[in-house]
Amino acid sequence: MKIFTVVLLCIAALPAQASETAITQVQDSYRTEEGSAFAATRGKSMWTQSFIQKKSGKQVSCATCHTADLKRAGSHIRTGKTIGPMATTANEERFNDPAKIEKWFLRNCKWTLGRECTAQEKGDFLSYFQSE
Amino acid sequence: MAQPQAQNNNRQTPIRIWNIPVRLFHWTLVGCFITAWLTRDNRYLDIHLFAGYLMAGLIVFRILWGVIGGPYASFRDFAFGWHEVWLYLKGVLNRRPPRFLGHNPAGSWAIYLLLTLGVLIVITGLLGLGGEEQQGPLAGWLNYPQGKLAQDLHELLAWLMLGVVGTHLIGVLVESLLHKENLVSAMLTGYKPAPANAVSAASQWKTGIAMAIIILAGGLIWFQGYLTATANQPYRPFIGPELPDNALWREECGACHLAFHPSLLPARSWRTMMEEQASHFGEDLFLEPDTVAEIKTFLVKNAAEQELTEAAWKINQSIPKSKTLLRITEAPYWLKKHRDISDAIWQNPKVNGKVNCAACHLDAEMGTFEDAAMRLPD
Ligand code: HEC
Ligand code: HEC
Ligand code: HEC
Repeated sequence: MKIFTVVLLCIAALPAQASETAITQVQDSYRTEEGSAFAATRGKSMWTQSFIQKKSGKQVSCATCHTADLKRAGSHIRTGKTIGPMATTANEERFNDPAKIEKWFLRNCKWTLGRECTAQEKGDFLSYFQSE
Repeated sequence: MAQPQAQNNNRQTPIRIWNIPVRLFHWTLVGCFITAWLTRDNRYLDIHLFAGYLMAGLIVFRILWGVIGGPYASFRDFAFGWHEVWLYLKGVLNRRPPRFLGHNPAGSWAIYLLLTLGVLIVITGLLGLGGEEQQGPLAGWLNYPQGKLAQDLHELLAWLMLGVVGTHLIGVLVESLLHKENLVSAMLTGYKPAPANAVSAASQWKTGIAMAIIILAGGLIWFQGYLTATANQPYRPFIGPELPDNALWREECGACHLAFHPSLLPARSWRTMMEEQASHFGEDLFLEPDTVAEIKTFLVKNAAEQELTEAAWKINQSIPKSKTLLRITEAPYWLKKHRDISDAIWQNPKVNGKVNCAACHLDAEMGTFEDAAMRLPD
């Protein structure tokens, strides 16, 4: 009977996305740094917030390449390459690897904001990606 | 051998001179020549090759038919020597050329020239295809430079053939005018007015039907890929060699843009690019040193100098050794190949700039950049 329950639990756990594990892991690492709760709403408003990019003098935001709708595919503003949707529900390949998440936060925050994002901001973004 | 007909045009009735296979051969050959000419752009190489193979088949057939094709079609009915051609041309100059029911001496020489040129064009075409594209029955026989030579010869011969075709047309026009008869429609209907004692050619319709069936079936087999293609799986007539791959490279260099295959730039370009990864066309790639090392090794090992593809060979050839280009899109060969593409197309939202190779090249991800795998978005 006990084994039966374990098997059942395993089956129930299967559909949980790989992204969930990775995001939880990354968010946990942010929590120990600053220890605050993450909010999808804050992530959402920052997602479309515009910044002036120093090099180009252009107004840019995360949505510049990813679009404001997380469920839609975006395209790299400089190369035209298609970028798959960011919502975890719309793209199974998203957020499976903590190192990849960190790499792109570093690149894209520097690109967009001209600085690295804080642990709080990154945690908010991740909650936002999961919420849509 | 055919003798000139008496100039006396009285009491002539139309009889069949050109049997069906001769006419089918003639007009299909015309079609092949025009098609091959219009598809000399690499984008249509598969159609060009079909025209070429068909031309080869037609010429082989015509040579055979020159032995067994019967009256007017047989070589022995138009085996004229230089002296007869000269006499005939003199007749033309005096505006009184003798009339021949079959091919006249000058026309016959045009035919032999065209057949010879056709054979040479097919041979040089196959050699070029095997050398430059490493495709076709002679793939691997020649290397890239030899293939290029064959290709240049192929083009020269095609221009020569165009010249002979032009001369042939002028000849047809002049003779039609001087004899007041329509030679073009004779080649369509097969009939010409002839004296009562002249030999008539059999229609040979069975051979004609067999030819038509073979040509149609050949076309269907050759182009069947287009029938089964879907929007997501477009048909690629040529599959290039399988190129070396590397997972780390694909992951790191394939996120912001297409993972440009190493064969598209020389080793010195890749070395510089990887050393300057912190200012990659204005982007900081933030790559770890061991990541940089592994990717650099992969890039350098498979760089353009290795001549893994035709594009690799040509790109490398086109860049002066003293220059270290960081952009494929600045290589003279790339510029030459894309110079006819208008700004409107580069700005088309489906293309969005020159670096989006995959917008037009179906095999960009594979790095092979084969012919007939490119199309402009509409
Ligand atoms: C210049 C274009 C560009 C901008 C602007 C941009 N990104 Fe990205 N982002 C990318 C590309 C390209 C990828 C890699 C896409 C892929 O793997 O399919 C990516 C990936 C990511 C990933 C990793 C996704 C994963 O599957 O692990 C995160 C997180 C991310 N971006 C967040 C952001 C945030 C936050 C912003 C705004 C601060 C932003 N991006 C702005 C181009 C951009
Ligand atoms: C963070 C995004 C990003 C990453 C990652 C990236 N590139 Fe680029 N790359 C660019 C941009 C932006 C350009 C310039 C596009 C333009 O101006 O048209 C570019 C241009 C290039 C070009 C020139 C294209 C041309 O012919 O015009 C090459 C070659 C290139 N990258 C190779 C690489 C290699 C190799 C890697 C992996 C080490 C890599 N890139 C990783 C953003 C990136
Ligand atoms: C707007 C569409 C378009 C884009 C984008 C594009 N190409 Fe092309 N490319 C073409 C066309 C069309 C041809 C055929 C030119 C011809 O020979 O007539 C071609 C030819 C080529 C050839 C020669 C192939 C051959 O054997 O003749 C190479 C190599 C090539 N492109 C590489 C690239 C690379 C690398 C990129 C990206 C950096 C690129 N192209 C981007 C349209 C495009």
